[in-house]
Order: sequence, then C-alpha cells, then structure tokens
Amino acid sequence: MDLRAGDSWGMLACLCAVLWHLPAVPALNRTGDPGPGPSIQKTYDLTRYLEHQLRSLAGTYLNYLGPPFNEPDFNPPRLGAETLPRATVNLEVWRSLNDRLRLTQNYEAYSHLLCYLRGLNRQAATAELRRSLAHFCTSLQGLLGSIAGVMAALGYPLPQPLPGTEPTWTPGPAHSDFLQKMDDFWLLKELQTWLWRSAKDFNRLKKKMQPPAAAVTLHLEAHGF
Amino acid sequence: MRSMVDDARIPKPGFWSNWSSWEEADAQNSLGHDPLLVFPKDKLVEEGSNVTICYVSRIHRDNISCYLEGVQIYGEQLDRSVSAFELKNVSFIRKRGTNVFCKVDQGGALGGIVLFVSKVLEEPKDFSCETQDLKTLTCTWDPGSDTGLSKQPSQSYTLFESFSGKKTLCKHRNWCNWQVAQDSQETYNFTLVAENYLRKRSVSILFNLTQRVHPMTPYNLFPKNVGATNATMTWKVHSIGNNSTLLCQLELLAEGKVIQQHNVSIKVNGEYLLSELEPDTEYVARVRCAYTNHFWKWSELISQKFNTAEAAPSEAPDVWRNMKMVSGHPTVSLFWKPLSKVHANGKILFYNVIVENLDKPSRLEVLSIPAPTRSTELTLDQCSYQIHVTAHNSVGPSPASVIVISGDPGNEEVESGRVNGTEDGFSVSWKPQSGDATGYVVEWCDGPQDLPCALQWKNLGPNTTSTVISSGAFRPGVRYNFRIYEISAKRMAHLLEKKAGYLEELAPSDNPQVVMSNLTSHSFTLSWKDYSTESQPGFIQGYHVYLKPKAGEQCPPAFEKTVLPEDSLCCKHTIDNPEQKTFVVENLQPESVYEFFVTAYTSVGEGPLDAFTKITTLDEYSHILIRIILPMIFCVLIVMIICYLKHQWLKEKCYPDIPDPYKSSVLSLIKSKENPHLTIMNINDCVPDAIEVINKPEGSKIQFLGTRKSLTETEFTKPAYIYLLPTEKNYSGPGPCICFENFTYNQAASDFASCGHFPVTPQAPPHQLGPLTSPENLLKALEQNYMNSLGEIPAGEANLNYVSQLASSTSGDKDSLPTNPPEPALCSEYKMQMVIPLGLASAPPSENSSLSSTTLLGQGEHYR
Repeated sequence: MDLRAGDSWGMLACLCAVLWHLPAVPALNRTGDPGPGPSIQKTYDLTRYLEHQLRSLAGTYLNYLGPPFNEPDFNPPRLGAETLPRATVNLEVWRSLNDRLRLTQNYEAYSHLLCYLRGLNRQAATAELRRSLAHFCTSLQGLLGSIAGVMAALGYPLPQPLPGTEPTWTPGPAHSDFLQKMDDFWLLKELQTWLWRSAKDFNRLKKKMQPPAAAVTLHLEAHGF
Repeated sequence: MRSMVDDARIPKPGFWSNWSSWEEADAQNSLGHDPLLVFPKDKLVEEGSNVTICYVSRIHRDNISCYLEGVQIYGEQLDRSVSAFELKNVSFIRKRGTNVFCKVDQGGALGGIVLFVSKVLEEPKDFSCETQDLKTLTCTWDPGSDTGLSKQPSQSYTLFESFSGKKTLCKHRNWCNWQVAQDSQETYNFTLVAENYLRKRSVSILFNLTQRVHPMTPYNLFPKNVGATNATMTWKVHSIGNNSTLLCQLELLAEGKVIQQHNVSIKVNGEYLLSELEPDTEYVARVRCAYTNHFWKWSELISQKFNTAEAAPSEAPDVWRNMKMVSGHPTVSLFWKPLSKVHANGKILFYNVIVENLDKPSRLEVLSIPAPTRSTELTLDQCSYQIHVTAHNSVGPSPASVIVISGDPGNEEVESGRVNGTEDGFSVSWKPQSGDATGYVVEWCDGPQDLPCALQWKNLGPNTTSTVISSGAFRPGVRYNFRIYEISAKRMAHLLEKKAGYLEELAPSDNPQVVMSNLTSHSFTLSWKDYSTESQPGFIQGYHVYLKPKAGEQCPPAFEKTVLPEDSLCCKHTIDNPEQKTFVVENLQPESVYEFFVTAYTSVGEGPLDAFTKITTLDEYSHILIRIILPMIFCVLIVMIICYLKHQWLKEKCYPDIPDPYKSSVLSLIKSKENPHLTIMNINDCVPDAIEVINKPEGSKIQFLGTRKSLTETEFTKPAYIYLLPTEKNYSGPGPCICFENFTYNQAASDFASCGHFPVTPQAPPHQLGPLTSPENLLKALEQNYMNSLGEIPAGEANLNYVSQLASSTSGDKDSLPTNPPEPALCSEYKMQMVIPLGLASAPPSENSSLSSTTLLGQGEHYR
C-alpha cells in the first residue's frame, strides 16, 4: 500500500471531522429516545437494590417482633395475610404471562405492599426503625414509579384501583397483636418474594426488548459530509 | 368485677364497689372453627406480675407445644381441652410485647398471644417550681423510666393546683410551665400526677411564689474607666415585677482565683468600682444576682475579661557585673535580670545605662538598650565609675540600680575552698571581711566549665553569711565554681572567697593518657602530665596504678594484690596525691611481660576499666652489651676509615711491591743454616759487565714488544736499549739482559746459556715451554737445584747468570697478559736471589712466573 504524506493528512482530517460530528449521530446520542430498554434495566437494578435493602430491614424488624418471628425456620400459616398479593405463581403460568399483564401484576402488587408497609411504619415504636422503614418506603415508591415508566414506554395504561378495594391498615378490635405480628411477618416475606420475582420479570423483559445483535446498525447522518 | 372512682379532685382514699356476680363461659364454644386458641389476648401487666396463660384446643395436649419467647414451657391441663401455664414475676422484654404461642406438632396450626409487660410507673422525683419573672412558674421533675409500649403510650404528667383548682396536661416528660394568675396569688399547692394504663403516681409541693424567684442571668457586663489600679464594672439585670431589688455579687478573679468579692443591690443597672488592682494585669469580673426579698437561688453567672493599664516599674533591676581586661583596657560586662511581672507593671521597652566617672568630672554616658537584651559591655579606663541602670516601660522608668566599678579589675587572689552539693543545691557560706558590707553577691556559671558561662548571681543582705544556691540547671558530675563578693558602702564589690563543688560527684569518665618511659630490665616510668583534674566529674583524690605481672609472679613491693571486676588477679598501687602524675614501677623481673593501667579515682569511685598496656622489661645484660659493643663498632669503623685513607702508606710499610732484601726472611734462614758468609749482594760491590740503560718515561703503560703497538691511547715510547757490552755474538735472542757473575749462583746455568735466556722461539705457545711450566715440575727442579747448590757445588766455581732485580715496573702490571713469553722485558721481573737452573731462569714470564715466586716462598717456609 502506497501512502503518501498527502494521503495521511487527508485521513487525519477525515477522522477529526468524524469525531467532531460524533455527538450529532442519533444512534449514539443518549438524549434521544432510547425506547423502554434503559427503563427496564433501571427497574431491574432497582429491584436488586431493594432486595438487598430489605434483607437488612427485615432482620431488624423481625428482631423487634421477637421470637419466633426472627427464627430462620419460622413459617406460620397465612391467617390474616390473605389480602396480601401473592408473588408465587405456577411456572407455566408465569412464562405465559404477556408483558402487559406481567407489568400490571408487578405494579398492583407493589401498590398494595407499599400501602401495608406505611401502616407498619406507623406501628413501629423505635425512631430508628421508623427511619429505616420510611427510607425503604421511599425506595419502593421509586420502584413503583419506575414500573409505571416502563409501562408508559411500552404504551400500556396503568391499572386503575377499583373503588372500595383500596388497601388499608386498620387492625380491627378482634385482630390480636399476635396475628398482627404474623401479618407483619408475611408482609416482609411477601415483599421479599415479590422483589425476587420482579428481578426475574424485568430480566425476562429486558432480554425480550433487546434487539438481536445482528440487527444493530449505526445510522450515520453525518451533517456536513 | 368491682369498681372505684379515681380522680385527683376527689380526696383519697377512694372506695371499691362490691364484686359483681360470676359469669360462666364454655371454652369449647369459644373455640369456634379455630383449632387452637391462646388466652388472654394482648394482656398488659406490670413487671413482676404473675400471669396465667391458657390454651383451648380440640387436639390432644401431647401434640401441642407452647413457647415463651421461643423457649418451651410446660403447663397444667385444666380439663380435656384447656391447659394453663403460670408465668411468675414477668419482666419487661420489648415494647412490642412478649410472645407466647402454642403450635400443633403436626398440621401447622398455630396460636399465640402477646403479653405486654410494662415497667412500673415511678413517682416523679425532685419536683420543684420556680419563677424568673413572677409571671410564669416552671416546674421540673425527674420522670424516671418510660413505661411506653406499643399497647400503652408513655406515662402522662398532669399539673394540678389545688388553690385555684386548675390543672394542665404537661407536654414534656420532665418539665411544665404554669402561668401565674393576675390576682397576685402568692401561695401555690401543686400536685404532679404521673399516669399510665396501669397506675397513677403523684407528688405535691406547697410554696410561696416570691420565695421561688430565680432571676435571669445579668447581661451587658463591661469594664469602664480602666486604670492601672482600678476599674469600674457595669451590668444590667432583667427586672422582676415592680420595684423589685436584686442582690448582685461581683467577683474579681486573677489567674483563676477569686481575689475580690463585692455585693451590690440594684434594680436594673449595676455599677461598682474595683480598686487595688495590679497594673498591666488581666482580670476576670463576673456577676450573678438573687432576689433580695427572699433568697432562693443565684442566677447564672456572666463573665467579662479586662486588663488594667500599665504603670512605671516599681523596682530597680537586679544588676551585676563581670570585669576583665581586653587589650589592656578594663572591660565591664553588665548583666541584669528582667523585672518580675509584679514589678515591671507593663512591658519593659528598654534599659538605660548611665556611666558616670567618679574620678574626674566628665559628661555622663547614656546607653539605651532595647528589651529583652539583658547585658551590655562597657570599655572603661583606669578611673572609677558609677553605673546606673533603669528599666523603662511605656509609662516611665524604674528606680535606678547603682553599681560602682573601680579601674582595677580586681584579680586579687583569695582563698579557694570546696562546697558540698545537696539535693536542695549548694550550701555556700563565707566569712565577712569588713564590718561595713552592705550586702553580698554570690556568682556562678550555670553550665559546665567547657561551655560559655551563663553568669548567674544572687544578692544577699549584709547580715547574711551563708546561702543555698539552687538552680534547675545544676547537673551531677559538673564542677561549679562560686565566687563570693562583698559589696562595700561605696557600692563596690570585692572578691571574698572562691568555692568549687559538685552537686553530686561522679566517678571519672575517662582515664589518663599514660606515657611510658625509662624502660629498664627492672623498672619503667609512667607519666600522665596532661590529665586535667579540674575538668573531671568529681574531685580527683588520687590514682590507681594496676599492674598485671606474669603468671605466678608476686606483686612488686609497692603494690598490693587486688581482684579486678572480671575476676582476674592484679596488683594495685594507690597514689593519694592528685598532683602526682608520674610513677616508677620498680622491682620487676628482667625480660618479662607486664601489663599496666592507670585510672583516677574520686570519692565515688575510679574511672572505667580500660585495656591494659603490655610492656616487656629489658634483658639484664643487654644494656652492658650495648655499652661495650657500640663503642667497639665505632672504633673498628674509625680504624677502617683510617686504613682506607692511608692504604698507600700502609702498603709501603707492610707489603711494598719491591721488598727490601735486608728484610727477607730467606736470608735469615740461609744465614742460620750453613753458610754464614752469605750476604746480600750490594750493587756497589758488583762490577758491571754491561750496563743496559732503559729510557722509560714515567707514567707510561705496559707494552709488549712482540705486539709492537701500544695497547692504550697513551703515547708510548719504545724503550731504547743501549748495548754497552755485547755478551755473545750472533745472539738472536730478543731481549738484552744485564748479567752478573756471582758465586752464589749455579755454574751450570752459564753452561746452558751465555746470558741465561731461555731459548724459546717467539712462535712457541706458552704450553710448549716444557715440563717446567707445571708447578710440580717446577717445584721438583727447584728442590733439586737448590740442594745441589747447597751441597755439591763448591763456592767460586759456579758461573752464575744473574738476573737484575731492577725490573721494569711494567712486569708487575697484571692487567696485561703476555702473549709472547720470551720478551726481553720479562727479564726485569724480580726473581728470588737464589740458584736457579738455567732452564728455570729463563722461564717465560707468564702468570707462571708469579706462581713460581709463590712456590718458592712456600718452599722457604717448608724449610723452617
């Protein structure tokens, strides 16, 4: 290959021009519409973060409830916790869920769980525990918003809460304190399961939304060329 | 069930109602659909209570386990489906309550309760009320432990005033405000009620409002008109009601200590003049106030710092001098100590030194030396001077310190003594010399002698004759020299005494550098002249000389045996005079190895044990040998030199080249034998037949006629032979000879050759000279011929061929070897005067000729 000095200068000028106009390339411009991919990734990351955060919070809270609730093999019946949204689902059913339904279930579950969690916060007797719960509630609120964002990006409407089904935390007079503690236990357990499931959901969604590698093309709209 | 009214407004004790009638309940019916129920639900009890827990279940009790906080508990079966557990003296565990639960071993049915154990409500402690302004009462108390649970809020506090009948629910756990009514109620009876779900506790106080006034902290405390010794303090207080008077306490602190305290009654503004203050001093003023009508409590303190103004220094500086001669001029170094804070009364800015000549009127010399310099140097003449020193601050000068210097530096010799150091310092005492002393001064240097002197001094009164000199700078093992001066009425200082001492004497730190000299076979001398006793860490009392003799040898007489620290035996001699710095080690064995070591000692001990120095004493006779051998060698050398210089003379005297025949030993030998008539032939007695004259210049080198050429560069003149009398016609022999007839010679010789020349052709090599050339043959021939001449040949018959002894000197030159033996010149070679066979007489004058001469001598000796 015969390169002359004039050719080298020309190539250098060309390279500089490309670098100069690189921010103008839409495919590389992060301010452009990236689609639901980054939102799903963020939501996935948030679920992993909350999973980690909840592990610490649940340990503190169950110690606050006392034995047997803080024992590792304690598995009481779901007596008063039937109203809590269940995270466990048949594997086949879970696989067959479409994106909208999957996202809707996540959204609805966290809406309910957040509401119950706020009730838990009001019951907490120690200031430190209240601070931890409040911080976790804020994070969970962020996850809810993130899911809503993904749904909006995919063009799915947010589920409307049915009138009269708004979850409340009003322990009735017949609801004993022991049962209340069991509800608290199940709330934290269900929350943990939901966060684990959401990580799976969003991971699946992320893979699904990711375009095949071969289809990735770089559209150069080099203005000025 | 029974009931009782519980209200603070109703005086106690209250009365309980009668018990209600019993109600029955069926446990089985209450169970409903639940497999297991535990009672009582969410029970709230106080710590220390006994609680009975029971469960109702249709399942057999053997399949049910119950736990208290995770620990299994065992109860009592009341009937088929009901079991009870007695929990005694329960204690508080957590605010969310104590968990008690039962579970069915198979099936997973679970039932439980939370038992809320509250801490016992305590009676409020230290309940008191006070007012700052007669408008609001503040009541405070110690609430004790919190009894709050998730089932029970923390205890509440209610303040109830019985005279007014008012009460207020306190918002805080430990204090509560009460608004004083406008109707000027003076007496208050407060009841504080603490209450939770389980208990009420109350405490009451009765007081008069004006007796509980705790004024607020005064404010705006400032100094005003601050002088050197006084200052006015002003402050303000919050008014309490109308025309109320407050008693305020003003305290003055210096260096953290209260030095003045004043009480001032004020309404709103306070003011007080503080006096007797020190100039240029920092003070702290602080004020607190109390209600005058009835003292209850002092208010909080308010403090303010201030500094008094400066004043002129109140005392003259303490001045001392040191005199020395510099380049022939008396030079005075003046030193002064800084004034103490008490006397400086401010920051000293400079010192004035005024020099006044006392001997002749002259102008005053004024020196201004800026602080903090504490010394100056003055060069004076031989006159007397009065020196005034004053310290100045911003206000003015101090009184003057006066010192008089005489022109004489005062190097008077005085008594030197020693002073003992103690823990407190040096106790120095002296004898007063004159009665008019106005004081004494002791001066010394704070540092060691080898460092520059930091001059210190101490002024003492006229009646003092001793003092203790103490200084933090004094160190053990350092020699301090004290000089005691007497101050006369004319303010002149005279040296009284000198003292030297150690705070604590130490053992010498180094040993003398010993020089060994005068080594003999029995003694040697040690000296350490350079060892300074002054610079040692103690007074040197003497020296120890250690000597290690060779093994098994006794110590010399002046030494005693001692054991060294390393357990080796040694000889020791003690010198108790510190000025004796030489020592002769005597009575030693000759040619023996000794080791010595010298150390100084003080009252504490001796110096460090250094290495011993080895020395070997001399051989006993070596000095004698030296005395004899050296002169002998010298003499021999002298003789050799003389011999060398006079060797020519000696040669002539002892072994001349031409020996004197009269001195020949051969002659005496012959004489003593048989022929007493034999004598030395005198040349005067000889009638010459022919005379050969040889013209030979002096200094010519040897030449050989056969070569016909000079061997050297020296000009050679061929000898001219004049044949005065020819001995034989047709003689073809090369060399002419002088022939003498002598009866002592063998006649046969003349028969053989007319002129005694050996008939050898010039061409014949030396080895062809015949058998006589060999020494043996020569010796034989000689012997034979000699015997013949002595015994057989009659005298007078012999026809001798005499060879002249006046041989040419050339024949003696050994440097040139003959190549042509039958040269006439060779005939001049000296031969012994004896009978020689003809063949021998003409023997070639080679080196064999000299050999024959030697042989003859040997033969002569043989005959003796």
